[in-house]
Amino acid sequence: MKQLRFHYYMEIRFDIPVHDHHFTLRCLPKEDDSQINEELNYEVRPYCDLCRGTDAFGNEMLYGSCREPHKLFLADVYGIVQTGCGERISETASEYIYRYQTLQTAPGVQIRGFYKELEQDFLRETDAPEQKDVTGMAVFFMHRLNKRFQYRSGITLIDTTAEEAFEKGMGVCQDYAHIFLSLLRLARIPCRYVSGMMTGEGFSHAWVEIRTPEGWIGLDPTNDRIVGDDYIRIAKGRDYKDCLINRGIFKGCVGTAFQEQMIRVEVKEIGEKTDGND
Amino acid sequence: MGIISIEHTDRLFWLGRYSERVYTTLRIFSDQYDSMLDLKEEEYKDFCRKQDIPDIYRSAEDFAQRYCFDEKDANSIFSNLNRAYDNAVVMREEIGSVTLSYIQMAVYAMNKAKQSDAPVYELQHVVDNIVAFWGIVDDSIDDEHVRSMIKLGKRVERIDLYARMHMARKELLREAEKLNRRIGRTGLSYNRKSLAHINYLLEEEKVDYKELVDEVENLMQ
Amino acid sequence: MDNRELFKNSDSVNELLARYGVKFGIYKDHVFHEQLFPFDMIPRIIPADEFAYLEKGLKQRVMALNLFIKDIYHEKKIIRDGVVPEEFVFSGSGYLACCDQIMPQKEIYSHISGIDLVQAKDGTWYVLEDNLRIPSGASYPMIARDLCRKCEPQIFRDIHPEDNRNYAKYLRETMDYVNTGGHTVILTPGRYNAAYFEHSYLAEQTGAHLANGHELIVENDHLYFIDYSGKKERVGAVYRRISDDFLDPMTFRENSLIGIPHIFDIYRKGNVAILNAPGNGVADDKGIYYFVPQMIRYYLGEEAILNNAPTYLPYYKNDMKYVLEHFDDLVLKDVAEAGGYGVVFGYKLSKQEKEDFLRMLKEEPRRFIAQEVIDFLDINIMEKGELVPRKADLRAFVLMGKEPVVWKSGLTRFSRNPDSFIVNSSQGGGFKDTWVLSQ
Repeated sequence: MKQLRFHYYMEIRFDIPVHDHHFTLRCLPKEDDSQINEELNYEVRPYCDLCRGTDAFGNEMLYGSCREPHKLFLADVYGIVQTGCGERISETASEYIYRYQTLQTAPGVQIRGFYKELEQDFLRETDAPEQKDVTGMAVFFMHRLNKRFQYRSGITLIDTTAEEAFEKGMGVCQDYAHIFLSLLRLARIPCRYVSGMMTGEGFSHAWVEIRTPEGWIGLDPTNDRIVGDDYIRIAKGRDYKDCLINRGIFKGCVGTAFQEQMIRVEVKEIGEKTDGND
Repeated sequence: MGIISIEHTDRLFWLGRYSERVYTTLRIFSDQYDSMLDLKEEEYKDFCRKQDIPDIYRSAEDFAQRYCFDEKDANSIFSNLNRAYDNAVVMREEIGSVTLSYIQMAVYAMNKAKQSDAPVYELQHVVDNIVAFWGIVDDSIDDEHVRSMIKLGKRVERIDLYARMHMARKELLREAEKLNRRIGRTGLSYNRKSLAHINYLLEEEKVDYKELVDEVENLMQ
Repeated sequence: MDNRELFKNSDSVNELLARYGVKFGIYKDHVFHEQLFPFDMIPRIIPADEFAYLEKGLKQRVMALNLFIKDIYHEKKIIRDGVVPEEFVFSGSGYLACCDQIMPQKEIYSHISGIDLVQAKDGTWYVLEDNLRIPSGASYPMIARDLCRKCEPQIFRDIHPEDNRNYAKYLRETMDYVNTGGHTVILTPGRYNAAYFEHSYLAEQTGAHLANGHELIVENDHLYFIDYSGKKERVGAVYRRISDDFLDPMTFRENSLIGIPHIFDIYRKGNVAILNAPGNGVADDKGIYYFVPQMIRYYLGEEAILNNAPTYLPYYKNDMKYVLEHFDDLVLKDVAEAGGYGVVFGYKLSKQEKEDFLRMLKEEPRRFIAQEVIDFLDINIMEKGELVPRKADLRAFVLMGKEPVVWKSGLTRFSRNPDSFIVNSSQGGGFKDTWVLSQ
């Protein structure tokens, strides 16, 4: 169990004033079996009617509309989260939808080929029966994907599909997650995309969760490791699009206004507790 | 009903304006058509000038056909009728199917006149339907705001057209009086300075028509 | 009743339909045209007892469909129990993940359902299709009846079909039943929609406001209509005539200009009713159609009263075998298409076309259903003064309020082409009024 202090700050600057700006933010840590918000503060500017809701995937939303012209939009979220509080069994969310590929995860020839290779290798290389369960298979896929795919930013875009990224052979955490989801779904393992934060990184992060008989387990293919209590979960869904931290539409004067987005993320450990020692 | 959006208010106003534009230009056109039959070929040029319409016509005959019926010519009477229709057809639930049907029938009559070799006779049906439309507006629309918006459009357009046609001051005064009465009833914001200036311009013996036209256009800004 | 003497005033009725602008919009070469909807004066007549049978079957069917949608977006029992294979639900185009766990007002998902039926030569009725998203067409027989009564008073003095002009009353009751407090609005994509006449006519007849998306705003978790003076009026029910995709750019297509930003968020909270409920298309998918009789058994414990057309799912091995063996006798439908598109008659294909099609079928069996070609009972229409037989279907309307109500009429669509089975107005079909005899 850990106590993490986090700060998520996002600002968007427009070069000309925009108006009728509708936004939905998914940037509040979601409480669940193993993650508790001890302290949560948020602020959105410009001031407007700010509402809170939960979407079909169980994500916390902040939404509203800034109708007056503005050139700066910002969201500032900070607080203290307790992580690693327990197993994540009680989440009853339908796993059915997490079994199907989406537009962004749909495999093409390349990923299908890779999957065949992995499947065969997995059967050959893994002897111990206890490793042949869902988790064992997923972890095996993760190791191999991590070796095959290279981390580099600026190569892919937010709407790049798993297949496109895989062909390029490099990308960012979003691409790792999409390819991983694509492979897991080929293996009929229910799995979802997760966006969040982790200690030590200055950006938001993305990884994958698989559904096992023991509950949801997080796997981070970018760092090739099982997700632990140094991660804070924000949003989950079938793919990146379900977890957009900021979804917005607005009107500008001429055409589309040029915008510049800046995101700052800070996660710091402020305390560690061991189970039963509280 | 009771509540009407800005967009609907706007549409009702323009429905009034375009129906009036069709009605008055048709009447003038019919007179013009008659006099062109035996004398002045060039009379239509004067008409175009006064209406601010570019003279794109080859002859009086060409003018008679195109000014009236050419749907591609944005200034034609048919085009103006189509615009009245465009505004009416999206107002079915505000004005009622029966009221809307008179504008629809005016469009059918206009199509028939276009095919005819005696257009002025057929155009009378267009005029009849517009007059019936105004009658049914008065008779069957219960919502005062809806009724008022159409009628305000009609008043504004008429003064605008009469000013462009350099009609006698007496006629203009009559129309201005109706406009003054109507505009207060709509609950709509309008340019009070413009209205005062319109009234002032009409007090002069010699009306400054150009300024009057400009001021009428400013009225609802 | 096919007596041409009786309907001598057909021209007058068509003149009145033109007068009242009874039209539908159509795009030809990307240019919008308004067309009159060809009307045939001779009604389809359904005896009282026969309609009573249809009514019973339609209520049963729509109730089961509603329970199915509720189940799919909540417990998913029918899937866990293996009655409907999950991929038919979750990979179908009608399923919307964002609707999971949303409970609409009064648990109604399909407020206005349009069920398409055909009658075979032996008199048996078959359901061809369920339309639950935004079925249109009720306004046409409604206004046609009104005008026919003016033109043929003698007929209506002698025969007394059930009055169908009460559709607006039923619709209003359906909207009021789920209204969360405030005005009732019909949301239209605008004048250039094929069914704009219907939107505006239903608004006039029900007294609801007809609005475009930009006339409505969401503020502090409620929906408002903005008056010309700037006053905000609360809206409690939206009968939307735009598809899910365009309803809310914050949840669905981001580039939708005809939707209302954030309406979906407040719908989820129960602060506004949306008719029909988003995501209800999960039950009118052509693939799901196959399972409706099973659904009725599963949820209601009853046998289906109305027949499905004999249908095969190539997804099942046995059915695939049957389809391949009887290909020339079957009609194949692409489950993703609508409006009469994506329909293939086996016997009409050339050798090459057939080969191509079979390859596609084997690659994506889930994409198609196959049906026996039903020997339609032709009905007569008047063409140039002569009675000629044509293929026709019947769209029956079921409105779900406190109780399901079957409208005692319906839209009878016919094909004007003697060789065609396609009755859709977008493909040149015409319509008839449907008379349900009162005794």
